[in-house]
Amino acid sequence: MPTAAVTDSHLVVPWTATGSVVVSFDDTYVWSFTAPRDARPSRRGWQVAWPDVLRSRLTGTAQVRLGLDGTTLFDAPVAFGGSHEPLTLRDRHGHPLAVDKMGHLTRVFSETGEEVRHQVVDGVGQALADLRDEGYDAHLSYGCLLGAVRDGRMIGHDSDADLAYLSAHTSPADVIRESYAMERALRRRGWRVLRMSGADLKLFHRLGDGRTVHIDVFGAFHVGDTFYQLGGRSGRLPREALTPVSQVTLEGVELPAPGRPEAVLEFLYGPGWRVPDPAFANVDPPEGLRRLSGWLHGVRTDVIGWNELYRDRRAEIPWRPSPFARWADALLGDGTPIAEIGCGTGRDCAWFVRRGRPVRAYDYAGTAIRQTRRRLVRAGAGAADVAALALNDRRSVLVAGAELARSPLPTSLYARGVVGCLDDEARDHLWLLASMSLRRGGTLLLEFAATGTDEPSDPAGLHRRTDPADMIAGIRRRGGVVDHVDVGPGLDFFDRPDPRVARIVAHWTTEET
Amino acid sequence: MSTQRPSPRRYVEAAISLPRRIRDLEAAVTENRQLNRRIAELTDLVAELLVPATQRDEHRLQASLARYRAETLAP
Repeated sequence: MPTAAVTDSHLVVPWTATGSVVVSFDDTYVWSFTAPRDARPSRRGWQVAWPDVLRSRLTGTAQVRLGLDGTTLFDAPVAFGGSHEPLTLRDRHGHPLAVDKMGHLTRVFSETGEEVRHQVVDGVGQALADLRDEGYDAHLSYGCLLGAVRDGRMIGHDSDADLAYLSAHTSPADVIRESYAMERALRRRGWRVLRMSGADLKLFHRLGDGRTVHIDVFGAFHVGDTFYQLGGRSGRLPREALTPVSQVTLEGVELPAPGRPEAVLEFLYGPGWRVPDPAFANVDPPEGLRRLSGWLHGVRTDVIGWNELYRDRRAEIPWRPSPFARWADALLGDGTPIAEIGCGTGRDCAWFVRRGRPVRAYDYAGTAIRQTRRRLVRAGAGAADVAALALNDRRSVLVAGAELARSPLPTSLYARGVVGCLDDEARDHLWLLASMSLRRGGTLLLEFAATGTDEPSDPAGLHRRTDPADMIAGIRRRGGVVDHVDVGPGLDFFDRPDPRVARIVAHWTTEET
Repeated sequence: MSTQRPSPRRYVEAAISLPRRIRDLEAAVTENRQLNRRIAELTDLVAELLVPATQRDEHRLQASLARYRAETLAP
């Protein structure tokens, strides 16, 4: 019979190991997988690759144990990368890390002390109290509910806390509007909030050990006879299963739960919900996923990729102004105000500040906003005028347009490498923003990687080459007048040569004419 | 109304075009679903900002814009 094996790149478990395999290093939970789903067949059994987030950290020796339903498939020291130093998987505070259900390397509850677990539950309780106080029918959900009903404890391999609320609305547009109001209410109560889609929010709860735990607040609603809960679930579940709420105990604290917790858990996890399965991954109905995606998604596509790029590859991004910034500076009159759309690390707008221009900068990535803010202050901008702008969100576009239209002097718009990151909707919103803010004067200045070559345009996966003719047509549709177009050799995002870079200059007819 | 059956050729052409028609229909359905977000965004903006704008109170309008940005549009 084939036996289990562990290498630097993968693990092998026997054909008979079809349940959840739990991987631990030195008796500490690290990861779990289900072979038929995550592995591929090999001569010796199921072969599963280490997740990327783990593989990059696998250097050193650890006692590796593979467990399955109380039996041990493998238990031996493994020297990853040939190193005999102890292997440590810890965060900057020294806390053990594991791969959570989203594939992130993070701290999971099983490796969290009693006191900190109580702080997590306190945060969950506060969020539930605030939501219910504001009139939302909120309750524990997903892993928190599962743990509470099974044994009154947090699920060991979970890394965040989950809540849901049942909306009274049955039209997705109203569900989204309700979620916008919820976001404002939670911010007024002091929560740091991140919008994940039209009907789910992430709250950040700071713990005493320096870690921040995420509390997800998922919208749930009926459309016709179908029940939808963010996180991708859809199917049949009557309102009575959810409301009025019942009470369950989590880590010794009584908290609101759905009216019939067992029915909700069966809906969320299937009939086998009572049996722990660390590697559980639900298969949601595709039609439900398509509906949820069409109704609620699409505002901050790629924002995680951009945040990671600015954070992890910062050293590769040039800090000197781009040639396009110098070109635009020469084109505009001295001291003309400028607003940079998609400011990134702030390399160009900081230089505009040094050139004595009033500058306003916009981006949709939080990391970009923070980096630009710091850079503008260093460049001598009195108050770093950096704000969020999500070009797929009409609210964001219309507010930015109103702000720019009300600025004391006409402000030119500068966007380098932006149009290639946008879908059709966001591009049209860029032209709308220009039409609002340039009616009193000012210029739209664009630079982007143009079509007509097979050369890839960086950053990989976040940019696409764009046809200048499409951009010109879009500008004209929104009333703009194109003054200049050229396509030729230039530089990409990392200042590497690019054979086809387009520049477009446009203006809008002033209000007086 | 004609009860004439389609010719085999027309029938085959219609059958061949079905995958493309399904793709077109799915794209149209997605576009319609996306209108939900558009309606919600515009309704939210009008509800939060139209009243101070119509009151022609510059200070209130400025404050409303700033509050809307802080509470609604933060990254």
